[in-house]
Amino acid sequence: MYPQQIHQYVRRFFIENNCPILRENEHFINVQLTIEMDKKIMNRPFYWKYVESTGDEPNPAQLTLITDKNRLTESIAGEVVHYGSPRLSQLFRVTNELGSFVQMYEKPPASQVPAQIILTPWVGVNYKITYSSHRTQETLYSLGINLMTGMIINGFQESISRLDLESTISANTFHLPYTIKPLRALERLDAVIENQIQQDDHTWAEEAQVRQQRDIRVLDYFYEGIEDKPETYESEKKAIEEQYKTKIRVEIINGGLFYLKSM
Amino acid sequence: MQIEWSSDWKEGFVERLENRKAWDNWTLYKMCYDVEKLKLITDFDGLQCPKYLPELKPFPHQLEAAETVIERMNGKAILADEVGLGKTIQAGLILKEYLIRGLVKKALILVPASLVNQWIEELNRKFHIPVIQYKKAYDLNYCNIVIASIDMAKRSPHKENLYDQDFDLIIIDEAHKLKNPKTKNYEFVQNLKKKFCLLLTATPIQNDVFELFNLISLLKPGHLGNFETFQSVFSASKHNVEEDEFLKELINQVMVRNSRHDTGIEWTSRRVQIIPLEFSEEEKEVYDMISELKNVSSVFSGAFSMITLQKEICSSKEAAYLTLNEMRQKCTQPDEVAYTEGLLQKLAALQINTKAEKAYEIITQANEEKVIIFTEYRASQAYLMNYLYEKGIVSVPFNGQFSKSKREWMKQLFKEKAQVLIATESGSEGINLQFCHHVINYDLPWNPMKLEQRIGRVHRLGQEHDVNIYNLAMKHTIEDHILELLNVKIGVFEKVVGELDDILSAYKMSI
Repeated sequence: MYPQQIHQYVRRFFIENNCPILRENEHFINVQLTIEMDKKIMNRPFYWKYVESTGDEPNPAQLTLITDKNRLTESIAGEVVHYGSPRLSQLFRVTNELGSFVQMYEKPPASQVPAQIILTPWVGVNYKITYSSHRTQETLYSLGINLMTGMIINGFQESISRLDLESTISANTFHLPYTIKPLRALERLDAVIENQIQQDDHTWAEEAQVRQQRDIRVLDYFYEGIEDKPETYESEKKAIEEQYKTKIRVEIINGGLFYLKSM
Repeated sequence: MQIEWSSDWKEGFVERLENRKAWDNWTLYKMCYDVEKLKLITDFDGLQCPKYLPELKPFPHQLEAAETVIERMNGKAILADEVGLGKTIQAGLILKEYLIRGLVKKALILVPASLVNQWIEELNRKFHIPVIQYKKAYDLNYCNIVIASIDMAKRSPHKENLYDQDFDLIIIDEAHKLKNPKTKNYEFVQNLKKKFCLLLTATPIQNDVFELFNLISLLKPGHLGNFETFQSVFSASKHNVEEDEFLKELINQVMVRNSRHDTGIEWTSRRVQIIPLEFSEEEKEVYDMISELKNVSSVFSGAFSMITLQKEICSSKEAAYLTLNEMRQKCTQPDEVAYTEGLLQKLAALQINTKAEKAYEIITQANEEKVIIFTEYRASQAYLMNYLYEKGIVSVPFNGQFSKSKREWMKQLFKEKAQVLIATESGSEGINLQFCHHVINYDLPWNPMKLEQRIGRVHRLGQEHDVNIYNLAMKHTIEDHILELLNVKIGVFEKVVGELDDILSAYKMSI
């Protein structure tokens, strides 16, 4: 992530969370946090407890983030953020927390206003699959399912990101009631993911198994001929099993209900 | 294989469908997806951590080591780069990578007490890894990355507290301290569950190849066979490693070692020389009288006390005086007492210290540049300070026992006020003095790796000048023997572990 991208990200984050920007240029940003955002990111629960119990005037903090310290010519006191810095990681987490579930309606093009527009309901879900043993690999799947027909498409997020969506339905626009319930739709998408996992190449897991067996053989050799194996044998063996233990994890990043015209 | 499904999202989705909670913001939703795409670990191989650490700028050999350890060694390795090449950085990269990949949640870092703060600082500042220093009162269940001094950790109740935790990664710095399987330290580490494990040491072999066997048996028991088989192959003659190639290959499967020359970094050169010195007549007489002691009294017949005294007199009369005086109290026979008394008098009357004079000469020739003197004895340290002071040269002492603030203070004094720093052996770990490039080894230790550790204090990343090493040795004394043994040990090290930068002299004896 380049400093410019980080700056854009931080800027949008605070605007979307209603934190006014007090001062900024391309390399730093100074914002007034809202009470909610202060509680989320400033890590001062005792202050807020105090304010709430005394009824004091709440005074949410201001935050200055320096997004490109190499280009900053002004002398600004603030936190330097870069990809991997704790502050940015925290904002990523908060973004996830505040951007997990949406209900969106496609906006009709301005030219088409008189006609009635019917929208089709969809459920869209962004999945992350993690394969892990002593190594890891992740894959994202963005799936969408049409709640009328049950048709499933891959790359859903990419397809809708170019559409004009809003959180309330426009005048003169209607949507069909769904025939497939959203939770049932979610189950179908889960099944697609499970199927995908079954079709994937799992050489990684086999390799981990081979390595595990080899390491256990080495360990056995060390304790060969010892009748009562000491505790360390068992703990080493357990460690090797954990080291190469193969796991598949499925998480949902975010998802929602979408009422669309164009798909 | 079992698939683990996370159900959190589904619950939140139901709450929204039933209008119990509000829907989220579309822009944040898109931002969140974009970040996930950016963070996605698309490949089992390769390092993710560099993009999270844009400020760090690691050297290629450090990145390569991290990759090798994770991909080829499956996270169990000895990091054995030469002193001063940044093993901490390698360990930091590996830890960071495992944290990013979610393979390590909890880690334990064991280091000598004097290095605890340095580690906390580096991991925090360079790697953004928050580390908690172990305290008995803390509930370890809530601490993810814990650092402790190994000497504390091995004792009850700390030992049990740490055993109770499920650490995914164990990092041990200065791991050569685990060379002896009969120590508490070794036993403590042996009983720790080691899923991923990094042992850091510049000197995996100090005396013989069994030390490496012990180290590897901690990391991966059985990798070099069990003790009996290993012994039968390698112990026929302790220093004669015959199955070199085979052993070397096995070792390379669990050890990463870069020498300065492998790194591709422009290093300043290292000029190492042995300076042989001849005792003055008076000194020679005292030395010979000391060597005679074993024939005079049974008090001195033990080889150990004999060697100690011989080494001490090669250093300074002050160093020898204490030991000799102590042993004199044990003498009972009149002739023993007389001989020893006479010796003590002669010792006290000595006016000249040839070695100290040579050290002074080197210091004056250094043109006011900084010089470090290493000695094995506190008494010689005090003597040298005094001796140099009389010659108009200001020096500061340095011992491992100094507190952190005192060590920093001495380092500062040395940098700004004094030309000379006089350190005892225990001072040769964890202090970095790149602003100095003259090292006098006033006494020689038995162990070549101690020399390497000493030199490593100045010849490390950041050194801008050629480094001069002066090894002082008295001719026709025990120090001849020490030199010979040092050469043999260096030979073993190079055969098994790999090339070693010059530490004794530029010319290596072949064995």
